[in-house]
Amino acid sequence: MTYITLLLLASITFTTRYLFLEGKLPIRLGPNIRCLLSFSGPAVLTAIFIPILFIHQQQLDISMSNAYLWGGLAASIAAYKTSSVYWTIALGTGLFLLTGMFF
Amino acid sequence: MIKRQKALLAAVSKGAVDMLPLSLAVLPWGILFGSLAIQRGLSGFEAQLFSALVFGGAVQIVTVELMAENASLVTILFSALIISSRHFLYGLTLREKLRVQPLSWRMSIGFLLTDELFSLSGHPRAYQNKFRLYYALGAGGSFYFAWNTWTAVGIVAGSWLPDLTKLGLDFAIAATFIALVVPEIKHLSTLICVVVSAFFALVFSLFDVAFGLVAAAILGMLAGFFVQKLRSK
Repeated sequence: MTYITLLLLASITFTTRYLFLEGKLPIRLGPNIRCLLSFSGPAVLTAIFIPILFIHQQQLDISMSNAYLWGGLAASIAAYKTSSVYWTIALGTGLFLLTGMFF
Repeated sequence: MIKRQKALLAAVSKGAVDMLPLSLAVLPWGILFGSLAIQRGLSGFEAQLFSALVFGGAVQIVTVELMAENASLVTILFSALIISSRHFLYGLTLREKLRVQPLSWRMSIGFLLTDELFSLSGHPRAYQNKFRLYYALGAGGSFYFAWNTWTAVGIVAGSWLPDLTKLGLDFAIAATFIALVVPEIKHLSTLICVVVSAFFALVFSLFDVAFGLVAAAILGMLAGFFVQKLRSK
């Protein structure tokens, strides 16, 4: 049973990734749609990380004791100033752990 | 001929080097998944197969939890579809570049097309020639290798590690994505896109809306698109 579930899961993730790369699909993307899609990267990644920072136990957590917000703030400033993935993760995680211990 | 092979090899390693920070950043999640799978009753082999075949982050963690709760197959598959649906947007975005490539390239890039590989696909000439295809193969392939290695570490360590799900490991993912998004905000349109996407991601997540992530992303994309159209008039 586990193996069948596993294979079905694998075909779902593969299909979602591969489907629109298939040339035979009768879809043509006009310039407007292409411009719209150029925003997909930042839009999707933001929609993933914002709830990680702000929502805990199904509730909005905007308080000084939310270490995720401090870490996120440090990471954002580091990303803006350095554009380096290493610095962003190091400084973000650093402040995240520090405030997590403090509060 | 040998020169060309060397150049292709250089492209592969450049991809792997560019991906390295992201490959390292998924270490906590890989370990989390490996240990979680063991603690939820999967065998080591099954857990490894998960990462080898499904090759997703959140989708693996959520489905293992659902399987442990004896959720129905339909529930498991539907949750997987919801979480993976954002990849439709990535496929559409890269469609014009990749649809003309041979099947073997489309299949391999398609299999490796994670959030991380997509974020390295922004170059205007990405996937347009052999070198850029090999570059993507190096980037995506090394990330696949890393994800599976971290999973294996989690599997081995899983029996003596405590339950890691409450340790705040998800912050590493947030920090990684901040690192990918913030430097991309160079125009007002991108800023508006990100703000709108963030707002609706919070609202939809609080109200537990199915496909909320993709819906929030599409609303953000529309906002960015309209701002760009207005400003170019």
